[in-house]
Amino acid sequence: MPKVIKKILPHLVLLVYVFVILFPFVFVVFSSLKESNDQIVNAPFGFPVQMAFDNYADAWSQAKISKYFFNSAYLAVGSAVSSILIAAATAYALARMRIVKVSKAIYQFILLGMLIPGNVLFIAQYILIQKLGLLDTHWALYLPYTAGALPFSVLLIVAFMKAIPSEMEEAAIVDGLGVIRSFILIILPLTMPALVTVFIINLLGNWNEYLLANFFISKDALKTLPTGMVGFRDAFQTSYPLVFTGVVISVAPIIVIYAFLQRTIIEGLTAGSVKG
Amino acid sequence: MNKTLRNPYVYLLFVLPTLGLYGLFFVYPVLQSVFYGLTNWDGLTPAKYTGLDNFVKAFNDEDFWISVKNNMYFILFSLFVQVPLIILFSLLISGVKRLQGFYKTTVFLPSILSTSIIGILWGFMYHPSIGLFNNFLGWFGLEPIYWLSDTKWAMLSILVTNAWQWMGFYIVLVLAAILAIPKEINEAAEIDGATGFQRAYRITTPLIMPVISVVVMLSIAGAMRVVDIVLVMTNGGPAGATEVMASYMVNKALRYGQYGYGTALSIMIFVIALLLTAIYQIVFARRQERIEY
Repeated sequence: MPKVIKKILPHLVLLVYVFVILFPFVFVVFSSLKESNDQIVNAPFGFPVQMAFDNYADAWSQAKISKYFFNSAYLAVGSAVSSILIAAATAYALARMRIVKVSKAIYQFILLGMLIPGNVLFIAQYILIQKLGLLDTHWALYLPYTAGALPFSVLLIVAFMKAIPSEMEEAAIVDGLGVIRSFILIILPLTMPALVTVFIINLLGNWNEYLLANFFISKDALKTLPTGMVGFRDAFQTSYPLVFTGVVISVAPIIVIYAFLQRTIIEGLTAGSVKG
Repeated sequence: MNKTLRNPYVYLLFVLPTLGLYGLFFVYPVLQSVFYGLTNWDGLTPAKYTGLDNFVKAFNDEDFWISVKNNMYFILFSLFVQVPLIILFSLLISGVKRLQGFYKTTVFLPSILSTSIIGILWGFMYHPSIGLFNNFLGWFGLEPIYWLSDTKWAMLSILVTNAWQWMGFYIVLVLAAILAIPKEINEAAEIDGATGFQRAYRITTPLIMPVISVVVMLSIAGAMRVVDIVLVMTNGGPAGATEVMASYMVNKALRYGQYGYGTALSIMIFVIALLLTAIYQIVFARRQERIEY
């Protein structure tokens, strides 16, 4: 008998925790399918009776969620791809090209950037974006997102590239391959695991970013999902089902992607935080 | 071959984009912060040099220190509530065979979601009339609590939400470390008659100290950075009860136009972060040395 308890007890505790994690999601999905505030107020945790799928159509059109979604997606992917390409090229120069002294200096210089905690440069960056006349354009997010990811990305990719043995590259170069092609054809494919890690970290970071998006963008049509949804919540405070629906729509794609790529995502994010 | 790998033009081509963006978005803002921090710039009239006035003002600014204290709450909450729970849950997950993957995937889920969406979600959990917590209180006939607009409860409410979001991430980190411990050690202890609890407390926990110390470091870094969740859930209110350093700084600069003072505050935040890093190094880096033998 005690043995059974020993086996079941951890599961009981863990299932309670899982319940705590999942409960808010269930609550939101149920509420999003209810017809009115009254239904939510009367039975907040009850199963929706009439399944008001109309909410989804309403939220999609009224909140311009499709617009926010598109903005978020192309900014997040665009910046993540740009920083990876730029960081990989720089990492190649620092890790594999034979201009060692300069490389060491540049490496140290970039390392300094990692010491500055996030947000500290926010106001100065705001002033900079304002001076460049980029406030209320997507450049105001694209550039800081791309630049902000660089120090970390360069350091992580450098570490990875340094571990690649040099024989293959040397052989290729002896055979007459130029340095750029050696970078693209030989080193880049071998660096893929690190690139995937960095890409996931940057992509999720950009996708979820709130502070810059909130203060650099005020036009509704340019907003990203995080800021757009907060604006939507504030505008529709009196219509709970609609806000809940908005939350479901904005969370669902992430959960679907996560369901398929969970291992890659978990490994990428955790590996990045330990090494970085 | 050496010549190919020493091609200075390609080198420049590869390095310049990074240096350019880095210079523009890191180096230049750092210099600007120091410059504006010493002025009374309000964003409109030309900046006037005021020496260290801003820093004197910051030291005497009670509201700023309240926000610093609130950041400290985040650190204390992670050290004394989250870390023990993180260790407990990762030990439990590492101990089960069935559903291990399911637990790992589920607890990790909140950490990939946007903080602002989580803020909205939990705002409803704390909702005075439809929220979970007040319904729960209602079952026991207790008065509803205005979680996010009561100065007594607002901070705790945010801390709980923050823990909900990030604990799973750390659990997965610690879990990986636990699963990497060679099985022989635990088996040997089991043969010697150590109970499950003894093994967890005397063997596993000391062996995962390095990763715990990483968790502590990441928690401190996260606590210094925290701002989204506050802006979304309470916007610093009620009456500044949940204001954190970053939200206070941003408000001063962007809402009240005190750019000079705002940047001075950002330098203060940087210094506080450095101090905390130093304390962390002294407290944790030393302890780790003791365990390494």
